[in-house]
Amino acid sequence: MTTPCIGGIAYAFPETSRSLGELAAAGQLESAPALLAEFGFERVHVAVAESPYALAHRAAERLLAEQKVDRESIDLLIYGGAPGTLALVPHAEAWDGTAAFRTTERFKYPATRLQYELGLQRAAVISLDQLACTTLFGAVRIARALCRTGEIERALCVAAEFFPSDAGRESLFNCTSDAAVALLVERSGSRNRIAAATHVTKGYYWDADAMRNEIVASYFPTSKHVIERVIAEAGWQSSDVAWLIPHNVSRRSWDILLSLVRLPRARLWADNIARRGHALAGDNFINLRDALEQGAVQPGDKVVLFSYGYGAHWTALAVEA
Amino acid sequence: MILVTGATGLVGGGVLARLLAADRNLRVAVLVRDLRRWVTAAARLGVATDRVLPVVGDLLRPGLGLDVATRARLQRELTAVVHAAADIVFSRPLDVARATNVEGTRRVVELAAACPEVRRLAFISTAFVAGRACGRIAERDNGADTGWVNAYEQSKYEAEQLVRAVGGACEWVIFRPAAIVCDAPAGQISQVNSVHLALRLLYHGLVPMIPGSDDAPIDVVTAEFVADAVARLALHPDVAGRVLHLCAGAGALPLRGLFDLTWRTWAADPAWRRKDIAQPVIADLDTYALFARSVEATADEPLKRAMRSLSHFVPQLAHAKRFDTTEAEAALGHAPPAVETFWTQMSTHLLTVRWPELRREEAA
Repeated sequence: MTTPCIGGIAYAFPETSRSLGELAAAGQLESAPALLAEFGFERVHVAVAESPYALAHRAAERLLAEQKVDRESIDLLIYGGAPGTLALVPHAEAWDGTAAFRTTERFKYPATRLQYELGLQRAAVISLDQLACTTLFGAVRIARALCRTGEIERALCVAAEFFPSDAGRESLFNCTSDAAVALLVERSGSRNRIAAATHVTKGYYWDADAMRNEIVASYFPTSKHVIERVIAEAGWQSSDVAWLIPHNVSRRSWDILLSLVRLPRARLWADNIARRGHALAGDNFINLRDALEQGAVQPGDKVVLFSYGYGAHWTALAVEA
Repeated sequence: MILVTGATGLVGGGVLARLLAADRNLRVAVLVRDLRRWVTAAARLGVATDRVLPVVGDLLRPGLGLDVATRARLQRELTAVVHAAADIVFSRPLDVARATNVEGTRRVVELAAACPEVRRLAFISTAFVAGRACGRIAERDNGADTGWVNAYEQSKYEAEQLVRAVGGACEWVIFRPAAIVCDAPAGQISQVNSVHLALRLLYHGLVPMIPGSDDAPIDVVTAEFVADAVARLALHPDVAGRVLHLCAGAGALPLRGLFDLTWRTWAADPAWRRKDIAQPVIADLDTYALFARSVEATADEPLKRAMRSLSHFVPQLAHAKRFDTTEAEAALGHAPPAVETFWTQMSTHLLTVRWPELRREEAA
């Protein structure tokens, strides 16, 4: 069976970033900045003028250009993240986007617009929703599965996530960033081969705010299970894992999780937690690209990407860089 | 006449009922703080009250709070003392735990020593006087080098030292039960404790992490086993000066096995099974402590309360120990019941009654 790979990664952040102090002054944090700093956060990116769609388009264009992809070769476009009309208006006007749901305006979709504007005429379009921070992992799993069946050769997976620019920037003691991420999933290749993909959904936690305590309690046992399962499904030992590429949640929670899965702290690539914050669109993939560019992750390294979608989703990929 | 303390409690009451049933001529004095509470307990136990002398007193008061006439009568008539009364709340500060468990025991020992015909002082301690010690725990004074997890353990250890020093013609025997989780193998629970509270938190998916290791033995017993053993052996001449572990011993279940069994039992309830609640991670003590600090710094009050309530005893699980039961088995002539023979029934009982006793306590 072929081993699909992630043939390229690109991302786009909005131009504006804010420090913890600036967020606190604007009333966008629930916790004291000192506590969030202790958890590893310094800055987040906040889209003020950009729409999620604009970020998604920028990330996808960058990816296609960098990889010199023949746009006719893209069989599938999977878009996820900010839904419908909300994705098409600037962040500052996000609340106005909800009005469109009362009219046929609601059928204006960022996914189809992206297909058109990127020139991906051959690409079928699928949109993913409701996976929170695991959207891009879901897209990769679908693309990988279709690649393995031979139905497609190449998929473009794009996710864009945001909070309105004046909204709170803290979620369960994590500081969140707006961003878009684009990935190329290909049927075969020599880099970033996907050795295994695991996903667990626990619908019991669907009402996330009401189940906050139960969710906090379930996070570590299920995260440990998912990380260990993806390592096992890849046929690896935990000692084989060169890097754990995180979603950029608090360092404290990663310290605990690393201990539970018996991986040393030094194997967590955590450089982006402070400077990027938690990009809901798919910070694991941003981190993987940056770690590769910095040379921290070397070709052939076995890396695990793990993320949690607030509420009910735990997911991981085992990738040979 | 025998004096029994703690007769309104689970173990003391069970011992009292068995002693009376075993010897139709036996008369027993029971030390009680509240006569009305004793009347209720006596009715529950179904004991022959004409052979029981309720004596109003209090472990916390000098001379046990006995009036002169009562003390004089006890000094004349007592031949043995079974001291089962204790403050078994794990979260007590040390001075509070000591007040009942150490100073109270000191007063019981003084009374026993002051009674010329008392030949036996039987003390119900706890297996967890071993505290933070790990490995095989022998049936003897294991010392205090490793310290304890909570004030209950420490105060019971200190009380054991007082019992050993009773002196005179009075010989002692110390019984060390493991944690009692149900009345009998059928699984019913008439007295809830910290174990049941922890199980309720597990049931509701509010326990993310437990310190320990997968194979750490979890030693729990039934009240029936403990009461039977104490009633049979408390006055037996062969156990004088001995420490007996009333524990599951080799029949303890490994921690992971205990979780597996509990989850299998609760999964019989389709509504619970559908929630797909994960078993807690079993972590080393440092990781557990880091998580507990994070919860304290960041979590909502319900989760903080859950973690705090566990913090008084779950760290004991990180000090894996296997209680040796050789002496107790030899004295009893049989092995203790293995945990798996009653854990399922107890877990089923909890599932059936939904922790009503705890709800009543909270409402109060």
